[in-house]
Amino acid sequence: MSHAPTTPRFKQNSKDALANVNIQAALSAARTGFVDKRAKATKTVPEFDALRDAARDLKNHVLGHLDLYLEEYEKNVLAAGGHVHWAETAEDCRAIVLDICRKAGAKTVNKGKTMISEECGINDHLAENGIKPVETDLGEYIIQLRGETPSHIIAPAVHVTVPEVRDDFRKHHTHLPADRNLDGLDTLLAEARTVLRQKYFEAEVGITGANMLVAETGQSVIVTNEGNGDLSQSLPKVHIVLASLEKIVPTLEDATTILRVLARSATGQEMSVYTTFSSGPRRAEDPDGPEEYHVVLLDNGRTNMLGTEFQDMLRCIRCGACMNHCPVYQSIGGHAYGWVYPGPMGAVLTPSLIGVEDGGQLPNASTFCGRCESVCPMRIPLPKMMRHWREREFEKRLTPGTVRWGLGLWAFFARRPALYRIGTRLGMAALRLMAGRKGRLAKLPLAGGWTDHRDFPKPEGATFMAQYKGGRK
Amino acid sequence: MSARDRILARVRSAATAEGDRGAAVATRLAGNAQTAPIPAQGKSEGAARIDQFESKLKGVDATVSRIASAADLPNALAEELRRRNLPKAIRFGSDPMFASADWKDIETSTGPGRLEEPATLSRAAHGVAETGTLALTSGPDNPVTLTFLGETHFVVIRARDIDGGFEEMWARFREIGADPRTVNLVTGPSRSADIGQKLQLGAHGPVALHVFIIEDE
Repeated sequence: MSHAPTTPRFKQNSKDALANVNIQAALSAARTGFVDKRAKATKTVPEFDALRDAARDLKNHVLGHLDLYLEEYEKNVLAAGGHVHWAETAEDCRAIVLDICRKAGAKTVNKGKTMISEECGINDHLAENGIKPVETDLGEYIIQLRGETPSHIIAPAVHVTVPEVRDDFRKHHTHLPADRNLDGLDTLLAEARTVLRQKYFEAEVGITGANMLVAETGQSVIVTNEGNGDLSQSLPKVHIVLASLEKIVPTLEDATTILRVLARSATGQEMSVYTTFSSGPRRAEDPDGPEEYHVVLLDNGRTNMLGTEFQDMLRCIRCGACMNHCPVYQSIGGHAYGWVYPGPMGAVLTPSLIGVEDGGQLPNASTFCGRCESVCPMRIPLPKMMRHWREREFEKRLTPGTVRWGLGLWAFFARRPALYRIGTRLGMAALRLMAGRKGRLAKLPLAGGWTDHRDFPKPEGATFMAQYKGGRK
Repeated sequence: MSARDRILARVRSAATAEGDRGAAVATRLAGNAQTAPIPAQGKSEGAARIDQFESKLKGVDATVSRIASAADLPNALAEELRRRNLPKAIRFGSDPMFASADWKDIETSTGPGRLEEPATLSRAAHGVAETGTLALTSGPDNPVTLTFLGETHFVVIRARDIDGGFEEMWARFREIGADPRTVNLVTGPSRSADIGQKLQLGAHGPVALHVFIIEDE
């Protein structure tokens, strides 16, 4: 599934998400799980921070030599009998995938989890052309039944509650007895397993993403816990790998460094259950595996990030730690962000890929608390890059008038320190007076956005500058 | 200009790395530029290594038993099938260890995985003690689909094929020039937390993973 971005409506999306009882129930169930598991997993490896440094350095090295590694990778895929397709845009990617599927005579296409497919709208495009895409990752399958998009990059159905899954299965699995028992989580899983197992054997084409592409060997690497990606790529006649071009790593040792930080950051595992390295189609003596192997290398705006202040974002390995730890994501979930990539990584990537005009609201969805950067395995300076986007938004005069007016007012005083200090002293005195003996303010002019939800505390003590001069730092 | 050439031209014009870029890439690809740290848990040796491999496997919901030699495999497998109430049948590839074994009353079949596979058997070319990971390499001796379609997946590994960490394993791949189409790193049975964020085993792949470690030699 892919839908037109609703990113420009971010503010309304957020309000809707905050008022949505189901989303709030699902989010509160997920909130601590990811955070606790990551914390535990990173503590068991004393070298974890050194591994993060190494992972950052290796990806910086790749981005500085990306053209050479892409050529080496392509050479090795071709040597293994695979095909490489270069897609400059999402539209190119859709056309390439459809062409391969048509040549394979595909009626059904099985999908392992791929965010590139979401980014390019592959499912809708295939469906419009009479080919049925079937998502096989359990979470992706659930949201496909619901006609939704993923709300998290590794837990796509994190917003869906168990009763909703139960209802969806009853509604869609109509070939099963209507009065069957679906009470337990295990019965739901078993049903999905049986339904999807059949589908693996029906598809003519399997599409997966790639967590990495290894230049040295021409292999694509997928990392999953379910095994759906492997069934999707082993059983059909044709395997298509969708990968953005920055997914390259030089060697198997480099891939290992990434693996050592990926699962720990994503799900708190030391290793995900299945990590699969694939090169080319099945060999003459192989009893299974696809007869054709295609890789689509997608640019879609990424080369324009190279050499800019947004290059560091191309180190991202899509673990989801930034969104798991983000107070904004934790409150509104992924759909409010309005496009494929939510949370802090989405706030930086979205304006890069769909433009600051449509995506410019997302970098404002941050308190700049810095938790995202502090947990990012690739040490991506997410808050700094969100600030760059805010600057660009302001320069392009896309920022709302009231914000520009407020910033202008602040700038006027900031450039006149004496006035600024008088202003803060007067402001504090006024706030104290208004708060009275209660010690907090339930209402405040121009600050309804704050006081509608919680009281504003009464200012205590002297101003910062007064304290600073007084020698208290 | 093709899409390929346009993309590569954009990458090249934005390349920020200094110095001889070609030489830097060649050095890295030559494999003598191990710059990343190898965690201590990826450096175990001897008996401690086998113990670590076993305990890491158990930590990811796999079960493990040790057997003295390959000749003990049929009995050990029969016992496991009985314990799990599974039919006395197994499917595997053409690995010589399986082809030459005396399976007695276990019904055997050979070939890739089918829709219903109650129990499958694979041989892991390598194991990694660092994380309790099995490395299965594709080919006629080891069909990939047996690893994913078996409801209970049995894997045999010789103790001497267990490496401390991943670097050691990749070095051994290079040493023997191993170049299989697929390398499957397997760390536990299949799982998913996509329904209600509760982890459950057996999402699409095996519900259970049992590893036999052969201790001979």
